[in-house]
Amino acid sequence: MGILTRATRNLSRRKTRALVVIIALSLALTMLIILPPSINARQALTQKAINSLIANADFLKTTVTLSATEIQCDYTISFDPNTMIGHGTIWLTQPLMNESLFNNITSLPDVTNVIPLFLELSTANRSYQIYGVPLENASFQMDPTILPQNITQGRNLQVGDSGVVILDEHAAENLSASLGDTVTILGRNFTVVGIEGLELPRGANGVTMSLADAQAITNSTGQAWAYKVFADNIDNVNTVVSRIRSLDPKLEVSAGLSQLNTAQPLESQINVLTQAAQNNLNQIQGTGLIEISIAVIADTAIILFIMLYSVRERTKEIGTLKAMGASNAKILGQFMLEGVLLSVIAAVIAIAVGVFVLPTLASVLLPMPVQTGVGIGWDPNGTVVLQPGMVSFGKTPVIPGHETNFIAASVTPEIMLLGLGAAILLGALGSLYPALKAARTRPAEAMRYE
Amino acid sequence: MNDSVLKIENLTKTYKLGKRDVQPLTNLNLEVKKGEFTAIMGPSGSGKTTLLNIIGCIDKATSGSVLIDNVDIAHLPESQLYKIRRDKIGFIFQNFNLLPYLNARENVELAMELAGKFKGQRKQRAKDLLNTVGLSGREQHRPQRLSQGEQQRVAIARALANDPAIILADEPTGNLDVNNKQEIVKLLLDLNQKQGTTIIMVTHDEQVAAQTQRMLTLNNGKILKDKQTQKSTLSGNQSKAEETQEE
Ligand SMILES: Nc1ncnc2c1ncn2[C@@H]1O[C@H](COP(=O)(O)OP(=O)(O)OP(=O)(O)O)[C@@H](O)[C@H]1O
Ligand SMILES: [Mg+2]
Repeated sequence: MGILTRATRNLSRRKTRALVVIIALSLALTMLIILPPSINARQALTQKAINSLIANADFLKTTVTLSATEIQCDYTISFDPNTMIGHGTIWLTQPLMNESLFNNITSLPDVTNVIPLFLELSTANRSYQIYGVPLENASFQMDPTILPQNITQGRNLQVGDSGVVILDEHAAENLSASLGDTVTILGRNFTVVGIEGLELPRGANGVTMSLADAQAITNSTGQAWAYKVFADNIDNVNTVVSRIRSLDPKLEVSAGLSQLNTAQPLESQINVLTQAAQNNLNQIQGTGLIEISIAVIADTAIILFIMLYSVRERTKEIGTLKAMGASNAKILGQFMLEGVLLSVIAAVIAIAVGVFVLPTLASVLLPMPVQTGVGIGWDPNGTVVLQPGMVSFGKTPVIPGHETNFIAASVTPEIMLLGLGAAILLGALGSLYPALKAARTRPAEAMRYE
Repeated sequence: MNDSVLKIENLTKTYKLGKRDVQPLTNLNLEVKKGEFTAIMGPSGSGKTTLLNIIGCIDKATSGSVLIDNVDIAHLPESQLYKIRRDKIGFIFQNFNLLPYLNARENVELAMELAGKFKGQRKQRAKDLLNTVGLSGREQHRPQRLSQGEQQRVAIARALANDPAIILADEPTGNLDVNNKQEIVKLLLDLNQKQGTTIIMVTHDEQVAAQTQRMLTLNNGKILKDKQTQKSTLSGNQSKAEETQEE
């Protein structure tokens, strides 16, 4: 019959009252237990959305700036005269550009970079087209017009790759090849390291390899299908365009300056969304904090008042205990234990309840995280555009590596222990003053008390 | 019978009540010897309870000295006083004051638990004590299932639990009917005679007081009369008790 038994007996003395108090306490504690994981989950979710938006904005900026200084040049595409007679299909052809032209453009003033691109069109005997990519040029890793962006199996091409190819789904089908297989392209063996999902703006039936490989198997070393030329800044784009034209009047030269006009509104749109998400995050934190404070205060206050009432009601009992030789510390301990016990019983109930009601209650107590987002995509012409709803919870975002998944909150063992700890602490806090009052009771007066 | 267990010198108790003070005890002197059974009588408000509370260390003397087993408790701090209450004093109240959520045995055990006695030891002694006060078989009963007389017996067993130097009883029979009253007095007399327990008992009942060895009468905060009622022999007490009953 220790101090704990006495505390328990005392609680069960007034069963209805104890029950009501425990229910009230467990309501407060349920809030306390489910709020932190819910806030965390919502925060993480919103943070992910914000990160994704920021990544999109950065990506947009670099892409647009680059494409604004970008100049594309190649020879005019035309029908292949060899295929025009006797065949049902007409094939296209385009002359390649020689290395001397590459060197000439590279040495033009105000030009920072020239990227040779290689394309061998499909023919009557070959259903796929061959893309050659200058892999060592890292600044174009994210440009979907140069490097595949939608790898569904395996990996993308890397700097230094040779003897490997990426097949798009059509090419894979036509070549009856899958990931890891060896395919023969124009007499040379290649290992399939990746499969590309079909996605604009690149045409279907593509076999993508390193520029050097593509040039080697087509016997066109040093030649290119097109150049991407970059001016050192936007103001010099037009000058560079006319300089290239003067090098060879047959060249088709076009600049991507118009991209700039779309970039500004896109950027500000992303900024607005980012700000909204940030506000949402603050709101979730604010509301959560207020509710946690309410739960803490409610728990403490309930214990404070019920224990004060109990001490008053049991004045005579306290006097008797003192007359029997109970020390002040013992009486303090007895009453604090009763308060803590109430809180702990309520916490156990709250944990059990919290496990079940967390998702429902969390959506009642906290604001919902931002649900819609905006992503960056490309229209059929390869122009960067903002696409509504592309970054949203549960959906696949445009930029790989910035996926936002739904994050489920749950009452973990850590939260249970924390909840129990908080209940003990609040129980002790709430019963401290009443217990001190009990301990300081003057026995002679307590005995006269009726 | 020679060593005094209680020695009070010049005890004054003043309650400050705003401008008017109440002084229930004024320069009171009293000595009680080991094994004595003393009854305190006196009109209502004469300071009987106040005196008992001060001896029992649950109230503080304003001035004077109160020696229990040669320790002046009038000048002890609370950190020492609770030990005196626990080890030297056994209280018996008019309203029994048992803890309602503990059964008879647990009520007795609680006193020993406070004194740090071990569980096995506690349980056996509680049983023995309840047996002594005639309550064997009722150990498991909670107070509300015991008669008033039985409750007071439990309270007596509780008061005896730590083998105190003095039993202080404030109108222990005040709430009891005639039969129970005599039973309790008999029990106290028995304890006093067989075990040499020192008892100081406040009572308004002359018949009860008359069965003790010494009768003090308090008035206006002082001892008005101090009368040795009879011999302190075992046979004397018993014959007296019988006489009283016959009256
Ligand atoms: N805490 C207190 N504050 C002020 N006055 C008090 C206090 N306690 C007791 N008194 C007063 O002290 C006086 C003595 O009271 P006490 O209880 O000792 O009398 P008593 O002899 O036990 O009376 P009764 O026979 O009615 O029990 C009374 O006048 C009472 O009002
Ligand atoms: Mg009194």
